[in-house]
Amino acid sequence: MFFLHNLERRVLLHPSYFGKNMTELVTTKLVKDVEGTCTGDYYIIAIMDTFDLSEGRILPGSGMAEFTVGYRAVVWRPFKGEVVDAICTSVNQHGFFSNAGPLSIFVSTHSIPPDIQYDANATPPQFTNHSDIVIEPGTHVRIKIMGLRTGVGEMFAIGKIDGDYLGYS
Amino acid sequence: MADNHYGGDSESEDDNFNPAPADLSDEEQDANDSSPRVSRKNDHRSSSPVADGDHDEDEDEDERPSGRATKRPRIAADDDDDDDDGGEDDEEEEDDEEGGGHRDGDEDDEEDEEDEEDEDDVQHSHRRKRRKPAGVGNLFDIEAEVDDEDEDEADDRDGEEIEDFIDNAHPDDIADSGGMNDDRRHRDLDRRRELEASLDAEKQAEILRERYGKRAPTRGYSDMAIVPKRLLLPSVNDPGIWAVRCKEGKEREVVFSIIRRVEERLGTKNELPITAAFERAGPNSVMKGYVYIEALRQNDILLSLDGILNVYPRTKMDLVPIKDMPDLLRVIKTPSLTPGAWVRMKRPAKHAGDLAQVLDVTENGLEARVRFIPRLDYGVREDGIGPDGKRKRPGIPGPRPPQRLFSEAEARKKNPRHLQGNPQTNSWTFMGDEFENGFQVKDIKIQLLDVKDVNPTLEEVTRFAGGSEDGTENLDLKALAASLKDSSSNVAYVPGDVIEVYEGEQRGVVGKAVDVRGDIVTLRVTEGNLSGQTIEVPNKGLRKLFKIGDHVKVIGGSRFRDEVGMVVNISQDRVTLLTDQTNNEVTVFSKDLRAASDIGGQGSLGQYSLLDLVQLDATTVGCIVKVDRESVGVLDQNGEVRQVMPSQITNKLPKRRTAVAADRSGSEIRLDDVVREYGGQQRQGKIIHIHRSFIFLHTNTTNENAGVFVTRAGNVNTIAAKGGRINSGGGPDLTAMNPAMKRSPAENNRMAAPKSFGPDRAINQTVTIRRGGYKGLLGIVKDTTDTHARVELHTKSKIITVPKADLAFKDKVTGKPIDIYSRGGRGGGGFGGSGRGGFGGGGGGGRGDWPGGRTPMASGAGGRTPAWGGASSSSRTPAWSSNASGARTPAWQDGSRTANPYDGNRTAYGGATAYGGSGGRTPAWNSGSKTPAHDGFGHGSKTPAYGGSGSGDTWGSKTPAYGGGLSAPTPAASGGADWGYTPGASGNSYDAPTPGAGLGAPTPGAFSAPTPGAYTAPTPAPISAPTPGVWAGGWGGDTAPTPAATAPTPGASGSGYYGAPTPAPFTAETPAASGGYDDDE
Repeated sequence: MFFLHNLERRVLLHPSYFGKNMTELVTTKLVKDVEGTCTGDYYIIAIMDTFDLSEGRILPGSGMAEFTVGYRAVVWRPFKGEVVDAICTSVNQHGFFSNAGPLSIFVSTHSIPPDIQYDANATPPQFTNHSDIVIEPGTHVRIKIMGLRTGVGEMFAIGKIDGDYLGYS
Repeated sequence: MADNHYGGDSESEDDNFNPAPADLSDEEQDANDSSPRVSRKNDHRSSSPVADGDHDEDEDEDERPSGRATKRPRIAADDDDDDDDGGEDDEEEEDDEEGGGHRDGDEDDEEDEEDEEDEDDVQHSHRRKRRKPAGVGNLFDIEAEVDDEDEDEADDRDGEEIEDFIDNAHPDDIADSGGMNDDRRHRDLDRRRELEASLDAEKQAEILRERYGKRAPTRGYSDMAIVPKRLLLPSVNDPGIWAVRCKEGKEREVVFSIIRRVEERLGTKNELPITAAFERAGPNSVMKGYVYIEALRQNDILLSLDGILNVYPRTKMDLVPIKDMPDLLRVIKTPSLTPGAWVRMKRPAKHAGDLAQVLDVTENGLEARVRFIPRLDYGVREDGIGPDGKRKRPGIPGPRPPQRLFSEAEARKKNPRHLQGNPQTNSWTFMGDEFENGFQVKDIKIQLLDVKDVNPTLEEVTRFAGGSEDGTENLDLKALAASLKDSSSNVAYVPGDVIEVYEGEQRGVVGKAVDVRGDIVTLRVTEGNLSGQTIEVPNKGLRKLFKIGDHVKVIGGSRFRDEVGMVVNISQDRVTLLTDQTNNEVTVFSKDLRAASDIGGQGSLGQYSLLDLVQLDATTVGCIVKVDRESVGVLDQNGEVRQVMPSQITNKLPKRRTAVAADRSGSEIRLDDVVREYGGQQRQGKIIHIHRSFIFLHTNTTNENAGVFVTRAGNVNTIAAKGGRINSGGGPDLTAMNPAMKRSPAENNRMAAPKSFGPDRAINQTVTIRRGGYKGLLGIVKDTTDTHARVELHTKSKIITVPKADLAFKDKVTGKPIDIYSRGGRGGGGFGGSGRGGFGGGGGGGRGDWPGGRTPMASGAGGRTPAWGGASSSSRTPAWSSNASGARTPAWQDGSRTANPYDGNRTAYGGATAYGGSGGRTPAWNSGSKTPAHDGFGHGSKTPAYGGSGSGDTWGSKTPAYGGGLSAPTPAASGGADWGYTPGASGNSYDAPTPGAGLGAPTPGAFSAPTPGAYTAPTPAPISAPTPGVWAGGWGGDTAPTPAATAPTPGASGSGYYGAPTPAPFTAETPAASGGYDDDE
């Protein structure tokens, strides 16, 4: 689910940047540092704007200036039970991996409708029900997230496609 | 059956009748006996319904146990409680009636009992007789109960006595009671009819209940809900229990025989005088081999068991102490052994501790047929005769052979005569043991098997599973689960676990454990009606509950211990999870799982964690692809996975964010770039480590090695570089925004190779084409671009365009390969476009000839210049020459190189010499001699060009290039190259000498003495042996000039060019010099 989230971050600026356009630099650096990262719970998709740029404070020892910047960002947090659209990235006999944006989701064979079987002979390997459904790398699937694991800078989910309106799309 | 002995029924009666402190009277025993009575009623009925008459008879019969026996077959055969009750009632009645008359006798009985058993028996029999009228009374429960109540109410002894006294047993009341009896008989009849009319089970049960229901409160302890257990215990007044030896395993049969006999003799004269018989044999029981017979006298037992098979009353018979009696009947739940279950063997010793699978359990429950993996040595020690010829003691087994499936071939080979069997069914008999499908099959007594806490590991179990012929996995998870469940001791619940009750009355309840004490788990119910309540449940019927998507960790004995993953499937208590580390699916029992936090962590072992780059030894690095409990799996740079202990890891290589490599097309790749292999499997992955020329990549497409593979940096193509490829370091990227940095682009790049100016030196050079359709043809370069050259072929008048790289430059005259660039670069202008011309021009003075490379001269000849200076004094010459054979020789050689006027390389080499001077000369010399030569010819211009322009530094930086050059095979070639030059140079020297000659005497004068000293000696030195050969054979006409090259100086000083002198100094010196040189080498 997407949220607008107010966040705060400390930005360090190298002394060589000190100058009249520091504010701009700080913002640029913030965007560069933060956009597209995963905090563990959610992904920061984009920074809308910044506000509340504090005065810089020189850190003793390094000479870097520290700014505290408040900013508003679009974040995406996947939830258990959330239904997402994803693109299959790889298929193996235990299930398939797919990406919903930055989130990698694994769908186990246990969570795939029983009529959709793994076909190792196809190239590339695929899950198929031998009629209209073929899940192979690149296929769009709709997945319900069943579990989430968060790590440093990454998230991982397992999902299922056996349910109403889920699966091949 | 025997339980009844201590049933509550007896109590009240005992009380009533026998208020002795012992609390239990004979009566009770009687009552107890009554419980298993087969058909008491009939008994009574058959015996006369006349109560009073019986008394006398009984008394008469007192002394005759046999008679008693006929009437009272009390055997452990169950009958209706109804009857029992009736019986008891009767007894009470009897007692009441008889109380007055026989009180004394009774009391005597008690005493007797205490004194002597036999007497006791007698009296019992007496009493039993007396009970007959009670048999009638049996049918009059209600009255009996009333009596009971009365008795009960009069709890004290006195009251009882009074009651007894008053009761119908009193002689005065006989008439009365007789009347009552009549009445009773009528009623009895009625009831019997009634019973006969509708004797269905339900009714009977109802009656039963009625009676019981009424009876219960009428008991002596009616006011107590629970009768204290100690009061139910047997006393001295009860019949004794004897343990009678019997054949082990036949216990049950014996009891059945007794029952049969009881039935047979029922109602006959020879009714068995025992009250109960039972056995407690079990596989692990200490009571096996005995049957337990309850009787009043030992003699009764002897009589009863006479002639019954397998029981030996005469050999051994122990009276069970009273305090042990309850223990005899303690119920121990025996572990049930079902086919498919796993057990461990205790014996035979060879197989102690081995896992076995139960195939079948014999009927008597004493033996089980199990299969296990044999430990066979196929008769290596078959004869049991030790090496010393003595018979080995069988008790001492040797080292036991490893577990291996039976191999028919091996058995046939080692010991064919003991082998028989059927190959079709793959069942064999080998040395008396049976084998099926490779497993040994054996009947083993259950007590020799450990059936609890078996805890088979999956490895052990899979050996059984893998043994199936078709190779299919026939693992019976259910049996495994059962075996594992038996050992519930290893299930540890901790507060916080979500637990489901799957067995028992609380089944289905789900809650969170709040407290665990021993076997009792306190749950706070979270779902359902009980939600919010706290209940306590034994941990037997519990299992942990997980939901799909839960993040769990494997604990306990599973082989997947410490794996962390997410639950993807649950069926019953088997949970499938997807491991975090390797994305594999594993299935474990839920008891082996524990909820983990949702924070994923890479597995780590000490300081090493998954995907770390570690140094294995000086030359090997690897990426950790698996972390086990005690070891890690490392994918090394060669693509091999090895299992290493943390102690075997030299150290962990920190991730170098700034590491850069060049991909196949030369563009730089860094960490986190996505690249694809070129060729091969075309695997694609994200770079996780760069180490020298190896890159470790990670991909999600495969699980193998945690998705990590290794390849060479030069073998990949960039797919996607990480955005912007900046700011990967710790600090901010200074180049990105800092104007100061922006202004100087590529300032920090390596310095580019200096451009050569002027027209391309390749023009007008004679070349051969090394590659392509024109390969091997000779031509002259007419024009060039940066990359290509237009070559006019000698063979046909045609100008073709060839890549410069495909050209090999040749000397116009000699045809030897040359390096035009090196020469030009070296000449530094003096040499001009062609070495020769330059020489001609630059050689303005004879002097200029020798120091040909002036600049190098300056640098390289640092040592030299003094030499020169010294050379000016003729006296030095010998000194030099002597030096030449000494330590200085290398110096000289270098010097000679440096001095080589015609070779830029050399001169530059002089520079090298300088450093050679600081180190070992000889190596310097060696590499020097080769490298430039080689480079000059093998690699086009660059190295020499660098050499030419460079200083000592450039040489330093070059060194690797030399390294490359060094690999070129031939010192000989290089020698040849040198010599190639030499002639070329000799051309120069042709020029040079001329000016030299022109210079006239002075120059030679100045040089003459030193030059030969300085040069002639060394020059041959590097030339060494080959020189003469080359000279002699190869060069023919050139031979003369070449020596001239060295000779000129002497020549100049001495006589003619081509005359004898030249060879003279040359030949003369060569051996000496070469000798010196050889020494050096």
